[in-house]
Amino acid sequence: MPVAASAIYFLNLRGDVLINRLYRDDVGGNMVDAFRTHIMQTKELGTCPVRQIGGCSFFYMRISNVYIVIVVSSNANVACAFKFVVEAVALFKSYFGGAFDEDAIRNNFVLIYELLDEIMDFGYPQNLSPEILKLYITQEGVRSPFSSKPTDRPVPNATLQVTGAVGWRREGLVYKKNEVFLDIVESVNLLMSSKGSVLRCDVTGKILMKCFLSGMPDLKLGLNDKIGLEKESQLKSRPTKSGKTIELDDVTFHQCVNLTRFNSEKTVSFVPPDGEFELMKYRITEGVNLPFRVLPTIKELGRTRMEVNVKIKSVFGAKMFALGVVIKIPVPKQTAKTSFQVTSGRAKYNASIDCLVWKIRKFPGQTEPTMSAEVELISTMAEKKSWTRPPIQMEFQVPMFTASGLRVRFLKVWEKSGYNTVEWVRYITKAGSYEISWFQLLGLGKPCTTRLYQYAKQFDVTG
Amino acid sequence: MAPPAQAHRSPSPSQPSGKGEVSDLKSQLRQLAGSRAPGIDDSKRELFKKVISYMTIGIDVSAVFGEMVMCSATSDIVLKKMCYLYVGNYAKVNPDLALLTINFLQRDCKDEDPMIRGLALRSLCSLRVANLVEYLVGPLGLGLKDNNSYVRTVAVIGVLKLYHISAPTCIDADFPPTLKHLMLNDPDPQVVANCLSALQEIWSLEASTSEEASREREALISKPVIYYLLNRIKEFSEWAQCLVLELVAKYVPLDSNEIFDIMNLLEDRLQHANGAVVLSTIKVFLHLTLSMTDVHQQVYERIKAPLLTLVSSGSPEQSYAVLSHLHILVMRAPFIFASDYKHFYCQYNEPSYVKKLKLEMLTAVANESNTYEIVTELCEYAANVDIPIARESIRAVGKIALQQYDVNAIVDRLLQFLEMEKDYVTAEALVLVKDLLRKYPQWSHDCIAVVGSISSQNVQEPKAKAALIWMLGEYSQDMQDAPYILESLTENWEEEPSAEVRLHLLTAVMKCFFKRPPETQKVLGAALAAGLADFHQDVHDRALFYHRLLQYNVSVAERVVNPPKQAVSVFADTQSSEIKDRIFDEFNSLSVVYQKPSYMFTDKDYRGPFEFSDELGNLSIAAESADNVVPAQGVEANDKDLLLSTSEKEEIRGATFNVSGYSAPLYDSSAASVQSELAIISSTSAGSAPSSSLAIDDLLGLGLSAAPAPEPASVPPSLKLNSKAILDPGTFQQKWRQLPISLSQVYLPFLTLILF
Repeated sequence: MPVAASAIYFLNLRGDVLINRLYRDDVGGNMVDAFRTHIMQTKELGTCPVRQIGGCSFFYMRISNVYIVIVVSSNANVACAFKFVVEAVALFKSYFGGAFDEDAIRNNFVLIYELLDEIMDFGYPQNLSPEILKLYITQEGVRSPFSSKPTDRPVPNATLQVTGAVGWRREGLVYKKNEVFLDIVESVNLLMSSKGSVLRCDVTGKILMKCFLSGMPDLKLGLNDKIGLEKESQLKSRPTKSGKTIELDDVTFHQCVNLTRFNSEKTVSFVPPDGEFELMKYRITEGVNLPFRVLPTIKELGRTRMEVNVKIKSVFGAKMFALGVVIKIPVPKQTAKTSFQVTSGRAKYNASIDCLVWKIRKFPGQTEPTMSAEVELISTMAEKKSWTRPPIQMEFQVPMFTASGLRVRFLKVWEKSGYNTVEWVRYITKAGSYEISWFQLLGLGKPCTTRLYQYAKQFDVTG
Repeated sequence: MAPPAQAHRSPSPSQPSGKGEVSDLKSQLRQLAGSRAPGIDDSKRELFKKVISYMTIGIDVSAVFGEMVMCSATSDIVLKKMCYLYVGNYAKVNPDLALLTINFLQRDCKDEDPMIRGLALRSLCSLRVANLVEYLVGPLGLGLKDNNSYVRTVAVIGVLKLYHISAPTCIDADFPPTLKHLMLNDPDPQVVANCLSALQEIWSLEASTSEEASREREALISKPVIYYLLNRIKEFSEWAQCLVLELVAKYVPLDSNEIFDIMNLLEDRLQHANGAVVLSTIKVFLHLTLSMTDVHQQVYERIKAPLLTLVSSGSPEQSYAVLSHLHILVMRAPFIFASDYKHFYCQYNEPSYVKKLKLEMLTAVANESNTYEIVTELCEYAANVDIPIARESIRAVGKIALQQYDVNAIVDRLLQFLEMEKDYVTAEALVLVKDLLRKYPQWSHDCIAVVGSISSQNVQEPKAKAALIWMLGEYSQDMQDAPYILESLTENWEEEPSAEVRLHLLTAVMKCFFKRPPETQKVLGAALAAGLADFHQDVHDRALFYHRLLQYNVSVAERVVNPPKQAVSVFADTQSSEIKDRIFDEFNSLSVVYQKPSYMFTDKDYRGPFEFSDELGNLSIAAESADNVVPAQGVEANDKDLLLSTSEKEEIRGATFNVSGYSAPLYDSSAASVQSELAIISSTSAGSAPSSSLAIDDLLGLGLSAAPAPEPASVPPSLKLNSKAILDPGTFQQKWRQLPISLSQVYLPFLTLILF
């Protein structure tokens, strides 16, 4: 059985129960107490999201300031359970309109109970599609939509029965203006050495779609990925147009995408759900265009002073710009005083995270701002540990830029009434975990060792 | 269902204590019950909300049951739902009052609105009161035939609920065959899926008593049913797809054509956005191709990309679930993932449970071509702020070294760790250098030079200290200061809290004595004297043993203590391959996450020893505090090992027996390495065994009566030489018999070891 969940709990950070729903009797007594005493109040909390206490297994997940705990007594399917929680949270969010936190739960607990009843019965997941559930569970929920007019009662899952496969879309939708919005959102994960060589790098991207289309439209999306283009030129028996093609390592699609057709023709065709959804996810490891290069240098000036220089180079087009660039440069705990010189943006020392934080609101392409900082350290006797330099971390957003080079070539919409649609496409690249390490800690061979040894010694002296 | 009791904490201001509020509610509800004024529903709603919120925070509001039922006559669907929720929660403790609700629920089951019908039916089945089952059969039968699919989905699960309340009623009403018919014919996929879940549960529970049920259970994985479900798989919701795929994984196709058909049909499921569906598909693929080696290999290649994508998307918890599965696959076929090692690099802010799995996988995929990069990466982690991860990384480096690739470079790194001057790094590195030396004695010169420069004062952790002492003893001929370091350690005998370290110290001094007698003689005397006076039974016994051995014959003693050693060629796995296969069979379930087969954590018989050893742990601690003789730490360590060894019976922990003195320090994760080492030892010293064993029987004061020593129950008494056994013979016999045979088989080499 995939998940025969015995109970589900929503707890706040103190361990108070916000919601509990027991689906089965096979877990004894008050499992939530077991969770509190054996997991929440111990150091074990962060060590593993799956724990066994007595005969029961606990899956737990923290989402903002709420813990969601699923209790099972059998050998359940873990991936399914976590996915269920994630989907359920997405469902709640679509009902609350945004945030999912303790307050939202307290304000909507009747609604949550209602939903919990529908999305899981006796521990088996049922329908979690917001599209369908919103047909009969409304936030106002004043009257049953059916009881007033018994003649035209829309049956839950009606569409499923009629069309056979489109459980995620209602029939009879009408929009005055037919619009589709496509957002290509990529996050770049990077680990770079201080010398600028890339240790590892990958891009995870997703295509988010917002559809406001009437009727039952059939959509087809064309991207500049290699396999798709090759297939197309094969089918049309004409050579691929020159231009950049990219290779996607792996793709996953929303359930609306016709996977059989993707496999045979390599085209992404689908009947979209109404409103917002995630059409596809992909991953790329080869040929990533990095938006930024970071070159840090650090100089130890005696026991209690350091000089940190960081140069950042934006390598995207000169007409583009990045927003919300934040560079966090870790410094030792015993930092006492800092002074900065920056050619762009603002820098300050944040003692709570032990970092120099350099912020640049708008960062044009093809520029090279620098920051130099002087850091003074307190010499303490207590701090004997040497400083394990964590990597420099960077946050940013670059609109209209994709690190993978992915482009939408076309988006075609067919509907039997033949209306015109307006399509909007946006691109944005964000930082995932964009890290630049200070230096190879233990390099290769002997010379590095001695350097390491010296560092350790120096800090000992400081201490 | 018992109402959640108020937890043991003081009520905070936001959580009213209950009593007064409940009676308030009661009177307010009473007022509203009869009223038909407009807007009454809104005030009812407010009250109902209050009742439900009290129920949630654990206040017992069962006192207003009657009033709630009276107020339930309403057409407001939200009110109804709240009322049903309440009734479902308290019916079990108020079976008499539950009868009151039957009436309105039955009426609602015939409502014209399918929502109301469904809700009422679900609530009716959720009452879980045994003497009300007679009222369930009728509405359920109608529900299964309802023309609305929502009602049917509810009714199907309702049948399952009925089965759990009263199995005979459910069987007598002939519901299972109806479900089967529905499963094979219903147009709604959710109804089909629910039928499948219900039938699986019912028939596997019935199978033990009824032959027909077990036949039916088998029929679920017959070709017609499987093909029927597979052909409809695209209609199913993602959860139902998991369910179907799980069933398909159990199906045994007739020939390879069938296998390829199924795989082609399911190929696109690997692209599904739901990780659970992808994992279930992978399970099907892996199980179908088990007998076809080359296709199986291709399957691994095929599933690599989707798995790696799943790992890097979603929340850390989800990637943990996927990683656990990737982990088991990597362990089975490391070479396939060898080129993808960079995917297993840890990111700085990943949670430690993810990092830990990644480290294990990095260790597994290391081969000639990537060892260098992997070890470089691991060395980075050794400086990690997260100390447990830093430790794990160092251990990983050591494990890679033991896998024999590019040992040269690795030994260098390990020695660099020793120079990092961080206590925990030094400690882990020492343990590793010791293991390395056992496998590659040829490195001793390089290692000993560095190890010799480590001050024993800087090493505090027992395992590391024991490792250091073992090296001092083993390589005393190459280390200038060895006798003197041992001497200073012996001088501090009293301050040494760990019995393990003292045991090693004894052995090391003995070894050193045979290599450098003139310098060590004085230390040996001191050590033996200290050992004989030691409070710890094992230390005392070993000292006595060495003492008498030396008296008996010095050259025999040398052969026993310093036999020519072979290098350990393979450190055996901790888990038997049988267990690993069991876990693989249960792919895509908790077994993979816990890394043990499901019977070990779901089966009551196997969970049994948990409570059993708990109780024992208390016993032995009580005994210890009573006579307060044994150093606490040793006993606690023993207890821990006891808990482990009884809960994971397959892994027999050598440490329980404290025989580690002869060999290198044992650490509990390498239980099986004990076995292999024992085998070596018993073979190398077999020559001396016959001559000395009899004498030692006497000398240890342990007759064969102490033979069942490894049985956990007998350890506390064995510390006191069985003078006052805690268990009476009957119970002991019984518990002894519960131990698996493997334990007693393994025990024999242990005995031989103890005896010489």
